[in-house]
Amino acid sequence: MNNALLTTRLRRVPISVMIVCLILTIIVVLAILAPYVAPVDPSKQNLLGRLKPPGFERGGITYWFGTDDLGRDLLSRTLYGAGVSLGVASLSVVVSTLVGVTLGMVAGWFRGAVEIVIMRLVDIMMSIPAILLAVLTVAVLGPGFLKLVLVLGLTRWPRYTRVAYAQTLQVANLPFIKASELAGAGAARILFRHILPNIAGPILIVATAEFGLMILMEAGLSFLGLGIQPPAASWGAIMSVGREYIERAWWIVAFPGACLFLLVFSVNVLGDWLRDQLDPRSRSR
Amino acid sequence: MSEQKHVLEIRDVAVHFGGNGGLFGKTGAVVKAVNGVTLDIVRGETVALVGESGCGKSTLSNTIVGLQQPVAGSVKIGGEEVVGADRKKLNDIRRKVQMIFQDPALSLDPRSTIGATIGEPLIVRGVAKGKALKERVGALLQQVGLRPEHADRYPHQFSGGQRQRVVIARALALEPDLVICDEPVSALDVSVRAQILNLLVALQKRTGVSYLFVSHDLGVVRHICDRVVVMYLGRFVEIADRDTFFANPKHPYTKALMSAVPEADPEVQRSKERLILGGELPSPAMIPSGCAFHTRCPLATEICGRERPELTVRDDGARVACHHA
Repeated sequence: MNNALLTTRLRRVPISVMIVCLILTIIVVLAILAPYVAPVDPSKQNLLGRLKPPGFERGGITYWFGTDDLGRDLLSRTLYGAGVSLGVASLSVVVSTLVGVTLGMVAGWFRGAVEIVIMRLVDIMMSIPAILLAVLTVAVLGPGFLKLVLVLGLTRWPRYTRVAYAQTLQVANLPFIKASELAGAGAARILFRHILPNIAGPILIVATAEFGLMILMEAGLSFLGLGIQPPAASWGAIMSVGREYIERAWWIVAFPGACLFLLVFSVNVLGDWLRDQLDPRSRSR
Repeated sequence: MSEQKHVLEIRDVAVHFGGNGGLFGKTGAVVKAVNGVTLDIVRGETVALVGESGCGKSTLSNTIVGLQQPVAGSVKIGGEEVVGADRKKLNDIRRKVQMIFQDPALSLDPRSTIGATIGEPLIVRGVAKGKALKERVGALLQQVGLRPEHADRYPHQFSGGQRQRVVIARALALEPDLVICDEPVSALDVSVRAQILNLLVALQKRTGVSYLFVSHDLGVVRHICDRVVVMYLGRFVEIADRDTFFANPKHPYTKALMSAVPEADPEVQRSKERLILGGELPSPAMIPSGCAFHTRCPLATEICGRERPELTVRDDGARVACHHA
């Protein structure tokens, strides 16, 4: 019975979502298997083979994506960079969602002093440029993968807080929340069982939009030397180098850029579909 | 032991909004939503609370269940004080009082199955879980005329009347002594109103629950209530047994409400004497002096603007707050 339900539900998954899932799976698998599938060492420089176009062959190795300004294989660097970009983006989105949504729901539910403190803190955070805050944090903590996640996560939570707060205010006044209170449910139960499922849609939208932004933020910070340290690769770092050579070597920006586009696009489509699935009204008629 | 018979005792309850408070001091006039009301409800009784929008009906019902704190007075449910009760105490008291809301579409969580919704009071109070919970929920669903297998469905899969049945099942899950029905049928189609009202009556016969029935539909009130309380601008203006109330309304405001009820028979409707009130309901932030109704009352004389009439007992047992009626 349950199995039949699952298959009928799967059959209703639109083709676009299936394709997008396939793309995401390929990206994730390649990112994980990068050390095994990459044709050459991503950090191996070859100054004689600098800025070579895609398809360039040397020493029996074909450079399918071309080479960068130091003659490193772009295909290998893109593969290795995928892990960094994916990891930073998804982890920082998770961190900021957890922090932001919890604070937003708490502010919207308890109101009063808690609300004032949290929402003013949000205003303060929003008024400081994220990059400045990130620079400051990295200057104190030093660069590194986990620190980058922490910095991005802890500077981006106010956006989630605003959305979660506004939605919570709206939902908290509905009679079914009152009914739960009368039933004897505590704040934690009401927040996580009744409010969270009802505000998850808009939060998912913010999270998918932020996901793409996080990859770009990571690129920006890496470009400033505050993120991933060279010679380690990330899509952002590759592209920020490629920007300088865009007239002579378009491929440096084009390949990681195309990958980034595919990733962000897929996440957005998937997020959109997931949001619909969260709503029982669209699941079954 | 006559105290024990009262499931609800309200004494001089007043609920005001605004006035002091707010970050920047005074925030304007005090809205006196409820202004000193006293009421008892005995076991198995259905009391109707009628009045136009903004007269304080909903505020009073929120106060009874402790969602709203009064500025004065006392609310006792089964002899236990609601006003000033801490969270734990309040939770214990709320076992005995539940609420049914106006719009069944908004009073069920759209993301929870109705089984989870009905079972929630039982889970959070540790009454039942697992298999026992499932059975209880099934029994409750049957009690309100739905099938146990409906428990896995979501609210949007039900019609308005069915949803209100679910709301009633949730309200009855803890076997309360008092259920406050806040206009439970006004959002429903006329065709399903009678079904829901009959269900409420049947459940009352079986469980002995009392209802405080908030409504502005006198037709509905006549159908199911034992006693009627008329509220105007935060005060009760008339309290009477149903038959007395409908046979012989006394307060001019009550008469105006009665004359506004349309009759099914056009002959009767045409011959009916219409008592149409002038003006708007005054703002509860600026309640008229004396009798609050004197600004719109056809009987008003000079004394009405000066002295507020108290509820006094009349020959047939009705209590009316009016100098002239």
